[in-house]
Amino acid sequence: MATATTDLRFSAAATSAKTLDRATVRARRGRFLHHLASRGLHLDHLLPSPFRLRSPFSVCRAAAYAAEGDGEKYEYDLFTIGAGSGGMRASRFASTLYGARAAVCEMPFATVASDALGGVGGTCVLRGCVPKKLLVYASKYSHEFDESHGFGWKYETDPKHDWSTLMTRKNLELQRLVDFQTDMLKNSGVTLIEGRGKIVDPHTVSVDGKLYTARNILIAVGARPSIPDIPGIEHVIDSDAALDLPSRPEKIAIVGGGYIALEFAGIFNGLKSEVHVYIRQKKVLRGFDEEVRDFVTQQMSLRGITFHTEQTPQAITKSDDGLLSLKTNKGTVNGFSHIMFATGRKPNTKNLGLEDVGVKMDKHGSVMVDEYSRTSVDSIWAVGDVTNRVNLTPVALMEGGALTHTIFGNDPIKPDHSAVPSAVFSQPPIGQVGLTEEQATEKYGDVDVYTSNFRPLKATLSGLPDRIYTKLIVCADTNKVLGVHMCGEDAPEIIQGIAIAVKAGLTKQNFDATVGVHPTAAEELVTMRNPTRKVRRNSAGEAKLMSRPYVRSRHVVPSVHKRVTQSVKVHWRVLISLIWNKSTRETNKMQCDGATRSAMRILSDIGRESERVALGGVRACLKRVMRLVCLVFWMLS
Amino acid sequence: MARKMLKDGEVAVADGGGGESYEYDLFVIGAGSGGVRGSRTSAGFGAKVAICELPFHPISSEWQGGHGGTCVIRGCVPKKILVYGAAFRGEFEDAKNFGWEINGDINYNWKKLLENKTQEIVRLNGVYKRILGNSGVTMIEGAGSVVDAHTVEVTQPDGSKQRHTAKHILIATGSRAHLVDIPGKELAITSDEALSLEELPKRAVILGGGYIAVEFASIWKGLGAEVDLFYRKELPLRGFDDEMRTVVASNLEGRGIRLHPATNLTELSKTADGIKVVTDKGDELMADVVLFATGRTPNTNKLNLEAVGVEVDQIGAIKVDEFSHTSVPSIWAVGDVTNRINLTPVALMEATCFAKTVFGGQPVKPDYRDVPCAVFSIPPLSVVGLSEQEALEEAKNDILVYTSSFNPMKNSISKRQEKSIMKLVVDSETDRVLGAAMCGPDAAEIMQGIAVALKSGATKATFDSTVGIHPSAAEEFVTMRTLTRRVSPASKLKTNL
Repeated sequence: MATATTDLRFSAAATSAKTLDRATVRARRGRFLHHLASRGLHLDHLLPSPFRLRSPFSVCRAAAYAAEGDGEKYEYDLFTIGAGSGGMRASRFASTLYGARAAVCEMPFATVASDALGGVGGTCVLRGCVPKKLLVYASKYSHEFDESHGFGWKYETDPKHDWSTLMTRKNLELQRLVDFQTDMLKNSGVTLIEGRGKIVDPHTVSVDGKLYTARNILIAVGARPSIPDIPGIEHVIDSDAALDLPSRPEKIAIVGGGYIALEFAGIFNGLKSEVHVYIRQKKVLRGFDEEVRDFVTQQMSLRGITFHTEQTPQAITKSDDGLLSLKTNKGTVNGFSHIMFATGRKPNTKNLGLEDVGVKMDKHGSVMVDEYSRTSVDSIWAVGDVTNRVNLTPVALMEGGALTHTIFGNDPIKPDHSAVPSAVFSQPPIGQVGLTEEQATEKYGDVDVYTSNFRPLKATLSGLPDRIYTKLIVCADTNKVLGVHMCGEDAPEIIQGIAIAVKAGLTKQNFDATVGVHPTAAEELVTMRNPTRKVRRNSAGEAKLMSRPYVRSRHVVPSVHKRVTQSVKVHWRVLISLIWNKSTRETNKMQCDGATRSAMRILSDIGRESERVALGGVRACLKRVMRLVCLVFWMLS
Repeated sequence: MARKMLKDGEVAVADGGGGESYEYDLFVIGAGSGGVRGSRTSAGFGAKVAICELPFHPISSEWQGGHGGTCVIRGCVPKKILVYGAAFRGEFEDAKNFGWEINGDINYNWKKLLENKTQEIVRLNGVYKRILGNSGVTMIEGAGSVVDAHTVEVTQPDGSKQRHTAKHILIATGSRAHLVDIPGKELAITSDEALSLEELPKRAVILGGGYIAVEFASIWKGLGAEVDLFYRKELPLRGFDDEMRTVVASNLEGRGIRLHPATNLTELSKTADGIKVVTDKGDELMADVVLFATGRTPNTNKLNLEAVGVEVDQIGAIKVDEFSHTSVPSIWAVGDVTNRINLTPVALMEATCFAKTVFGGQPVKPDYRDVPCAVFSIPPLSVVGLSEQEALEEAKNDILVYTSSFNPMKNSISKRQEKSIMKLVVDSETDRVLGAAMCGPDAAEIMQGIAVALKSGATKATFDSTVGIHPSAAEEFVTMRTLTRRVSPASKLKTNL
């Protein structure tokens, strides 16, 4: 039975929704967003996700729902703990689209998160995607300065970077975003409560001792860097701190092979630190496509980053001069001004009261949820990194949007975690969507793989050894494109549109039927005519390589190499490591072919580059050595 | 190269049985994008192919051209190289607020860029020749013209002539920049020369509102020149979406290019201080270089087409049917010379379809729907599918327009005042995305994937179900939830422009 107070509370929303038709409401929201956009931020990613077109937002229905009975029992219809991407999305939609009474609690803003500090906007805006990308932009300029020489630009003195300018401007921007997001929450009618939330019972949250009741509780507390407990760990920094260092590191060790480690390696390298990356495995980016893993390592090495593979950190010591030493299973390296650990993230589920109310967690501490993001307690839900599904901002947004639809829209919908594209903003960056070649082979057995490794037009003038790698994985039976991977300039931007095609289940023919945009790097994705290899499952069920690799000749192009000596040196490093690894690769023919091709490509590049650049006697000598190595390598393989 | 047995190539097989014999199965005139693709693909089907092309020179004339054609030597490639070079200026400006200090002067060495550019196109010219050679295509240097339905005469640079017979002739001679006829027009240059200028102009005047004009305006401005752009319409880039045209115009102005809409040039004259330019509004200005980017005309007048009966239209473009067949059964034409959609990838598509039709035994028509394209202004514009205006013309249902105008994240630090804008045009009944457009950094790269989706008939719901890549500009295309306006074909009113 609805009480008068509840009715009154909702009357405004209900009336306005009833009197405005859909288009008018949309137009209003459009104007609102336009207005916001003109204030310098685009907010579309904060708007509803999967239901906008197919189902009208149902303010009326929500009002009816709220009036149906027990509205008065709880202060709020939805109480969200954590105002990050997922929490903001869910609480805002609950309020604006369904007229629900929503509250969200969040800790005060700080650039480095702790048990008592956080900030409206969450990891993405304050300690992740946004500040990271700003630093990527800043660090990319050093590469652009290098590129510009080949295009005729010269500077009297080499450009220098002022660290404090960057940090000041970055923090100003973050503060602006916090203020902006706070305003946005308020404008959406969401009550924002500052403080640390803790669940007391299935319908009660305590924020710093004050109790709030809610029909539904949403846990969206995200995750935090996790570092192993080894001696001297107090000297290291995590990604939070790395985004807000007071000064530029002279020499930094980055421990970890995931995307965060690679992104920071690129950032510090671009801002002129000496960068060493330590990984426990043989390769970086576990879970990514094997060839992309090799390619990005090569490209980053060429830009000056040193990789130390199969090294597990054991201890950190600080010497009297303040410099740090990193001891691993393979030895000790001294002289680091900073050591950063990017060794994974763990969900922020400690001290939330979850055990007491019976919310189940897995062994990593992430909240276990069903397909609708509901936890083991009916009234408690969880979205985003705290559930450790696909830990990406747009996925948290999708989950948050789907959740409000499920709770308030009387139409349960599951967030769809298939074909979620993602990017690594390393330098060069990676964009990918769908399955890796390994996953596709595992799942479908018979796949056709199209690859292209080419020197982009810009690099032919800049003379830098930049290349772009693209890969299309196609199901041999259905011709459906199962996965697309790209590493090189603009890869994340390029993959977004491709992701639409992959999500739609398009075939290789659809790609082939599309006319290219010329001249771009992206057109390569619609002009891959011949498979590099066809992988077929044999009778024993093992995937096997059927055809010899088809080597594309048109992109193996030499360049006018300005800095042949330096680059050749680095090339050599890569080459030697390739040859070194060859015996281990022999066991896996497919990989071996990839490696062989890369090596041959590099060899031919160096050969032609050295041919073209006047290095006098050195050139001739180099050429002879190259030929010899080529020959030896050829015989070996 | 050994000739493969033709399985499906009825035409070529018929040739063997018909008693008539020709030197070649296919003779191609012009080794540009379309000609090279046509000859290579045909050779791949087992045809015996020859191709003729003029000697290489960066600036084309009746006696000069080069393997690779306009795209490689005088178009897409050198243009994009110059755009890259010019875009650095904006990067340097933006870098300052990111903490980079560039002390002292930044110098620009035009000669170095030009030299590197020429080296690159010479290299590509060689690559094209090699590709042709590897495909088993016979290369003949000289100007080709048609003698009869099966005979081509190639005139060498020294004046000697030789005749070749072929079962089929493919004309792929492209087009050439066209100068408007005003007094002093000989003082003006075309895009050919503009790509190879000895000196970088300090004051440049550009006549034309098409993509070539807009691109050169961005290039010269980026390299430090004062640029005045004159065009006849109110906005540049006729044929593109009006809203995007407005954005491009304001971006050009924002980067310091002076726009002169609805203005024509009436006279050019040489003075000690440079070229004096007079406009139809009576204004006068001085320029070091005047570029006419006023359209291109098909290269057909030296081909002797009338004599053989190949029909051309009033601007000289060869008339072809859907299979690129001319009015003479054994003569075909692809690329700019047919003036359909004058883009490299379209010429490639036409040539591939031609080869499949004639030598592959599988008649295929090129499909002109949803051809994406890009204008490499700084920042670039890229579109695929219909503009809002075109959608309204063709529409049976209401059209839904989604737009997003936003400040790219990079600008939040650099403080550059330049919005990126994106647009989706959707059919309200079928939910199909009819057109997409973007003006902003990386637009051309972003649009390629969108084009795949559009070409396959993706709906707005498919766009919406795709998860974004964060943080990118492109994610905006899959997060456009808010309708900007709904336009009915009857009213054709623009409610918010």
